[in-house]
Amino acid sequence: MNQLTYGTINDKVVNSLEPPGRSWIVSMVVILGALSMGIFAWMIQIIHGLEWSGVNHPVAWGVYITNFVFWIEIGHGGTMVSAVLYLTRARFRNSICRASEAMTVFAVMTAGLFPLIHLGRSWLFFWLMPYPNQREMWVNFKSPLLWDVFAVATYLSVSMVFFVLGLLPDLAAVGDESKGLKRLLYRIAAVRFRGTNHQWLHYVRGYLLFAAVATALIFSVASIVSWDFAVSSLPGWHSTIFGPYFLAGAIFSGCAMLLAIVIPLRRVFPGFEGLVKIEDLESVAKMLIFTSLIVTYVYAIEFFMAYYSGSQFEKAIFWFRSFGEMKHFFWLVVACNSIVPIALWSKKVRTNIPALFIISLVILVGMWLERFVVVVSSTAHGFDPFAWATYQFEWAEIWITIGSFGWFFMWIFIMVKIVPFIAVSEMKERLMPPFRKRK
Amino acid sequence: MNKKFLGAWATFEYLDDMCAAIGELKGAGFHRITTHAPCPRHEIDHALGNPQSRVPFATLAGGVLGFGVAVLIITKMALDWVLPVSGKPILSIPNMCLVAFVFAILTAVYFTIGGMFLMILRDTCRHPVPQSRKYRDYDRFMRDRFGIVVPCENDELEKIENILKSHQAEEVNIEN
Repeated sequence: MNQLTYGTINDKVVNSLEPPGRSWIVSMVVILGALSMGIFAWMIQIIHGLEWSGVNHPVAWGVYITNFVFWIEIGHGGTMVSAVLYLTRARFRNSICRASEAMTVFAVMTAGLFPLIHLGRSWLFFWLMPYPNQREMWVNFKSPLLWDVFAVATYLSVSMVFFVLGLLPDLAAVGDESKGLKRLLYRIAAVRFRGTNHQWLHYVRGYLLFAAVATALIFSVASIVSWDFAVSSLPGWHSTIFGPYFLAGAIFSGCAMLLAIVIPLRRVFPGFEGLVKIEDLESVAKMLIFTSLIVTYVYAIEFFMAYYSGSQFEKAIFWFRSFGEMKHFFWLVVACNSIVPIALWSKKVRTNIPALFIISLVILVGMWLERFVVVVSSTAHGFDPFAWATYQFEWAEIWITIGSFGWFFMWIFIMVKIVPFIAVSEMKERLMPPFRKRK
Repeated sequence: MNKKFLGAWATFEYLDDMCAAIGELKGAGFHRITTHAPCPRHEIDHALGNPQSRVPFATLAGGVLGFGVAVLIITKMALDWVLPVSGKPILSIPNMCLVAFVFAILTAVYFTIGGMFLMILRDTCRHPVPQSRKYRDYDRFMRDRFGIVVPCENDELEKIENILKSHQAEEVNIEN
């Protein structure tokens, strides 16, 4: 960090906000193409109904709920980096916290779409809100689906505020570095933040409290999402391990997505290489190792619990997952989430940027498939063999899934050109301040 | 109508110079100091006497209020239209706690934001800063410079200027 100064940090970050170049525009065209296909597929599904998706009887939850869980947990990983590591004062967080906060907001925005898409009649989403319907009947607070509404809405709201709050000093810094209308707009967005002691005093304390409540929130939201499954009485779902299992999986996939975002950014904006050090990425890789171990432990212990419970239904579902029709997915999950991350034990791999990028993509594939296996297998292979079924992907849900990535990356690409994607003031905190008498 | 600011402001390249200047200004009886820094620094807090923020009280109030309101809403909804489901209690405390916890966090967050802005506003009103174009357009406080603003009376201006200059202030501006 020796060559960095307060001024050079500003310069590098402001340079990233220059008007977009050709590569940005080409990427955006691809992203918008994917998003358009997703919207088109959704429209077709709205017209024809959920028969255009793979859901059937008894597999009522399919790709859409898988996507919901996947994206929500990407968001949790982002909050983990931005909030939990703030509380623990992890130094490597400073360079990646803005990307992780943005990732959280856009991932939760993406996740929030999927319950609506899954509804089929999406325009009736407001039935989920706590208001009395025509018969003056209130919503049922004993339903985990309603807990989800509250948890996800709160999570979206809190992560948006957290993101915007973190931006204020940096918008002020960018405003001061800009000219004309741009300067005016950034200064307005910074709500007259000028770095006075009164502003910093309350800001830092408020930010700390935000980090604390956001930490409590990710534990509760991850648990609530897991209880969508765990409070049912289906084999494979009805398990007390689901809370920590989902939380560890969330951090695992979130860190992988963070690497998948930060590594290309670092490549595209040359100034960022000096700000996001390889050591920072290596620290995220170490978090991947840790959470991979937890996830692997859960995979193993689930089998043991099924065996030790003596329940033939539990044994049957885990046999089905690993040796039934879904075996390809299951073993791919094990390969992606348990075996591939072993490579990260080597420092050479952890500090090799292309290898880190590829491993993070493999983990993302593995985590999506893990959610798919959990969501689909238990309903496809319940108590009664007469009601067993299979799940076939349909083109609409494949395009809607691809479209969701388009939606997510569209926001990332827009934001990267509007707001500083490296937290300027936090990077400065990491530096030794300018002293006349060297300490 | 804004009262015209009377006082001085200075910029510093080095943090230790500014902290020393704050110490001497406080020793000379000037306590309504406003400082500028590109990022939060504990050295400045120490020099200013470690002021404490009361934002946590706003967070606590929001949390308690949110929890209470959620409990009331859920109780009202459960009793207004009774939904008997097998042997489950009509008013289930575990379920209630779950939603109330999430709602408490939501209100705590908004109260924190509200508290933060109100307290910043209050402190800013109590510690006036210059309204001059030169001060407003100075654009290095969020880049790489530290600053001190001291309101004072006319006869104290020279004294403040001397203190600031003695601590190698980069520039000292008198506003009268």
